[in-house]
Amino acid sequence: MQLYDPTSSGAERALSRAAALASLEGKTIGILENGKLNAVEMLHEVADLFVQRHGCVIRTVYSKSNASAPAPSDTLAKAAAEVDFLITGLGD
Amino acid sequence: MPLDVNRIHDVPADVLAAIDYCYEQGWTDGLPVVPPVVERVHAMLAYEGRPPEAVIATHPATTLQLTVHAAAVNAVMAGCLPEYFPVIVAAFEAMDKPGFNFHGSTASTGGSAPLLIVSGGYADAIGMNADVNLFGPGNRANATIGRATRLILRNVFQMIPGISDKSTQGNPGKYSFCIAERARGNPWPLLCAEQGYPDGVSSVTVFAGGGFCNVENHGGNTPEQILGSVAGAMANDGCITLGQSVVILAPEHMRIIADAGWSRQRAQEFLFAHAKRSVAEMTRIGKYRDVEYDKQHGPEAHPLAEAGYLHRGLTPDDILITMGGGDAGGHSCFIPSWSRGRGSIMQHKPIGVCIDCA
Repeated sequence: MQLYDPTSSGAERALSRAAALASLEGKTIGILENGKLNAVEMLHEVADLFVQRHGCVIRTVYSKSNASAPAPSDTLAKAAAEVDFLITGLGD
Repeated sequence: MPLDVNRIHDVPADVLAAIDYCYEQGWTDGLPVVPPVVERVHAMLAYEGRPPEAVIATHPATTLQLTVHAAAVNAVMAGCLPEYFPVIVAAFEAMDKPGFNFHGSTASTGGSAPLLIVSGGYADAIGMNADVNLFGPGNRANATIGRATRLILRNVFQMIPGISDKSTQGNPGKYSFCIAERARGNPWPLLCAEQGYPDGVSSVTVFAGGGFCNVENHGGNTPEQILGSVAGAMANDGCITLGQSVVILAPEHMRIIADAGWSRQRAQEFLFAHAKRSVAEMTRIGKYRDVEYDKQHGPEAHPLAEAGYLHRGLTPDDILITMGGGDAGGHSCFIPSWSRGRGSIMQHKPIGVCIDCA
């Protein structure tokens, strides 16, 4: 008996990680918030720790219009150009 | 069609052993599946005009793709007959529209299930149930089309419970959640006509349903009484959000509304106006948010949005209403959207035809 495999055989995106920062000192932080209740507050609390401990600068907040959808590619491209690292997470 | 040998599993010619093999591969929803033997998959593919490698839907985060072939394999496993296949294809074409956001609605803790509503003659042609026990078991087309939807989400898009499907509690519709719109005795235009499809073209509507709420009213005899009880369910403290709604009116309830001369639009407006909670109540239960109130009461607010209240949805058009179920009983239902706002918007597609295709 021959069975077809029901899983996807489609091409998967090639994924790679960005190189780790050599140091956090004085780096620029971006915040990507998902629009849920308390997201901005929670992420700012986290970012403030980097400001206090490593002299980081919070550059800007990027907002997702849809919490459950991937961030738009132009938002990510803009963030990549403007900040050294990005903090994101769920807020609810 | 040549066999893709890399995608073939050779198993002993023993059906029960093949069912167990599917379990071992992690291909099931917990229930036994029909082993996807090559011959049955080819019979399913005969109902689709595009080549097997044609892509129907793409996962926005992982880029995993649903091909016609993969859809057919999962449809066989769900127990579908070949003539059901165009409904499944159309459903995933609808779910692939960005506004539906099938990734978010499937992955979320909210635990939604895609509700499929098949409208038009194709539902009858394949023997779907729009009548008694509408959401219950007993009809092969309803049960297996809905089940195929879940198997595709699981097997093709890898929305695996506990890993990429983080539903806190889920809902029973995640096994199967598929109905036909009842045409018999329906006083309103069918959804496929309201959606603008030509005569003779059926449609499937997809909606990320967050559960099922029975609306019982055996004492009401006016549209206001019947729809008032529906509005009460829509605005209960646990459900009220800015999200969309599906309301399936029982024939008994529909008769009361239609006999009074109410149109679908009037019913939608009544429900929108009455499915509301005050800001004070929303604050009392800890669900009030300025941003949501402002979205509903801003410059583009619908005229029926009342100051000091949160209504369910943004406009009356956010409430899909039609008829379904058996003749007896004052039991309608309200199905809340998974989305609390605009995170998932219901979509529709024609079945088995290509209209305005690129």
